[in-house]
Amino acid sequence: MAQATYLEAIRQGLWEEMESDPTVFCIGEDIGVYGGAFKVTDGFIHHFGPQRVIDTPIAESAIVGAAFGAALTGMRPVAEFQFMDFIGCAFNQIVNMVAKSHYRWGAPAPLVLRGPCGGGVHGGPFHSQNPEMHFVHTPGMKVVAPATPSDAKGLIKSAIRDNNPVLFLEHKFLYRRIKEDVPEKDYAVPIGKARVHREGRDLSIITYAAMVHTAQEAAGILAQDGIEVEILDLRTLCPLDRQAITQAVKKTNKVILLHEDTKTGGLAGELAAIINEEAFDDLDGPIVRITALDTPVPFSPPLEHFFLPKVEDVVREARKLHAY
Amino acid sequence: MTTKNKSPKTVSAKHTAKAVANGASRNGRPAKSPAVRVNQYGIPDWRLEQPEFEVREVSDGPEVHYEIKGKLNTPVPPIRESKYLTQDQHLELYRWMVMNRRMEVALENLYKQSKVVGGVYFGLGQEACSCASAYALGPDDWFAPMIRNQGAQLVRGFHSRDIMMQYMAKAGSPTKGKDGTSHYGDIEKRHMVSPISMLGDLLPVMAGVSLGARLQGKELACLTWIGDGGQSTGVSYEGINFAAVRKLGLVLIIESNLWAYSTPTEYQVNVKDLANRAIGYGMPGVIMDGTDACQVYDATYEAVERAHRGEGPTLIEAKLMRMKGHAIHDAAAYVPKEMHEFWRKRDCIDRFQKYLLEKKWLAPAQDKEMIAAIEKEIEAEREFAENSPMPEGHTAAEGVFCEDGCHDIKPKYGMPQKARRSEGKLKETEAAIHFK
Repeated sequence: MAQATYLEAIRQGLWEEMESDPTVFCIGEDIGVYGGAFKVTDGFIHHFGPQRVIDTPIAESAIVGAAFGAALTGMRPVAEFQFMDFIGCAFNQIVNMVAKSHYRWGAPAPLVLRGPCGGGVHGGPFHSQNPEMHFVHTPGMKVVAPATPSDAKGLIKSAIRDNNPVLFLEHKFLYRRIKEDVPEKDYAVPIGKARVHREGRDLSIITYAAMVHTAQEAAGILAQDGIEVEILDLRTLCPLDRQAITQAVKKTNKVILLHEDTKTGGLAGELAAIINEEAFDDLDGPIVRITALDTPVPFSPPLEHFFLPKVEDVVREARKLHAY
Repeated sequence: MTTKNKSPKTVSAKHTAKAVANGASRNGRPAKSPAVRVNQYGIPDWRLEQPEFEVREVSDGPEVHYEIKGKLNTPVPPIRESKYLTQDQHLELYRWMVMNRRMEVALENLYKQSKVVGGVYFGLGQEACSCASAYALGPDDWFAPMIRNQGAQLVRGFHSRDIMMQYMAKAGSPTKGKDGTSHYGDIEKRHMVSPISMLGDLLPVMAGVSLGARLQGKELACLTWIGDGGQSTGVSYEGINFAAVRKLGLVLIIESNLWAYSTPTEYQVNVKDLANRAIGYGMPGVIMDGTDACQVYDATYEAVERAHRGEGPTLIEAKLMRMKGHAIHDAAAYVPKEMHEFWRKRDCIDRFQKYLLEKKWLAPAQDKEMIAAIEKEIEAEREFAENSPMPEGHTAAEGVFCEDGCHDIKPKYGMPQKARRSEGKLKETEAAIHFK
């Protein structure tokens, strides 16, 4: 096993799938000769040729529509959004054309929509958003948001192999910040399965993407107080791993729901409802939500710092809940 | 088809190529119609008349209504001789157009008997544009109809019962009751992409179908239609432009049918001919009379051939009028009467019928016989549709995802070439962007 960053792991997964399956191709803005704004497809055009690494006009609906059309002929397109914020430009194509196609007329849409999301990099209101809930709320879409290099590689492979449209959210804060041993042999991480990131007995934090690392840091601080936190990394946001969510609550009886997305209508609300339905009697305390503010993502570093959930927020809320 | 007394003229391939090169037609007849005009922007205009009128909002006391001004008493133009259709094909095409219209009459009756769930949409006056264009496709080509192109679905192998059962929300409809109207498709045999209600979104999708096939070594023609209203959407631009940039096989027919629901073209676009926009996209544009089946066929046929050669998309503007309201609920009272009258005289089926009778390619008795056979077929289709069951409620929960091996996804036209250009391995990258 060799070490790889989160970004390199995604590159490896994509590269390997293109090597093994000629129906996989990439389409997006500046992904060819330039290699993508974040260099996820750097060098791909030289190796796979311009037929399989296709630069498009700045037209997100055209990118998704063309990917869908190609998928109808049995291809497996991987479409890049330069920033996930721009997914709004293709909203109708995704929600009404792609996501409903199998249900309405029995046409599978095996395509991946991938790209960087998330804040913490001072990208401002249009280069920092977390758009997952628009699509978690869209029947027909699968939504994946890995937190580690190994999961990123294993999940991009699963996303490409899936017969359904998969939104693959890459957290840009993690791209080059985290590194770990990533298997070199072929493997896939199943969509729809959460992962226990850290074992603990006192309370559970259910989270995903960059916030897994925020939770991990908080858990280290809390461990010094003797509070052992279990961290459940959801990995897939739709379909949710209801069993793993329920198990986490049954194990520790106290739960914090943590995400970088804004609060109202965020995934935490849905998770709370699932816990209410499946594990209400197991709760020994209120369900706690820690999320970003209900505002656009602000630009200036002190503002963005205030906006995002922080390690100290998790430590404070965990201590309170532990004492409850 | 009741054409047993008419044998098609057989023309050898060699002869055809020579004849076309000489400016004569594929069917061996010299083209008698006048040469194609070119408009002020260099766009070919195949029409044999260029109607001149304009619709404007007029304040009349406390009310505002639409008024038409222009030349409305001009003579009805003849049918332009087809360069490509054989005599038999003329008759077959005529039959599809009649079938299209009669099926829609049956739909209207089903609606009036409260047997339809929701509304009914019609392509009255647009049958030539739906049928003759679909008729010009090759067997492997794809199409994506809009709501008024029900005739295209018949031409491409669906049955009246499929459309009827869609409107009646039956279990046996192509979508099993999950959706209605023309909102269905078939990627296996008939290569039809399902439309959605939002306009323009099919354009990039059809470009993508062409792209997917090209990656598999196949050049397809991918035909779709849009209205003068629908083309206003941003995604229309995105789709056409992408097809033009990548020279994809999109064959786009803009049906300038003069009314977008209740809004006249004059309040939709500020150009007289939407085909002129082809110049801005960098692709060929052509104008034709959408009520002339021969023009529709020939223009589409040339665009299809161009797509098969891998030369890229074509924008065809069909001039015609929507002769009913937006849907059955809409009496279209906003349409000036004299405007309706002008287009009624140009009815695509009446004119094509007259043309075939005058040519003596169709005998009156044969015509009657054919129409009776169509009526009989539609009646059987209606009976089948009416007697078929509604879906079981619980099936609403099925089919959101493609799972448990419900589809075997594989390239339709063969495994793409890997086109691997180097022995290179994946190398680590360095960040270039400032978001770190």
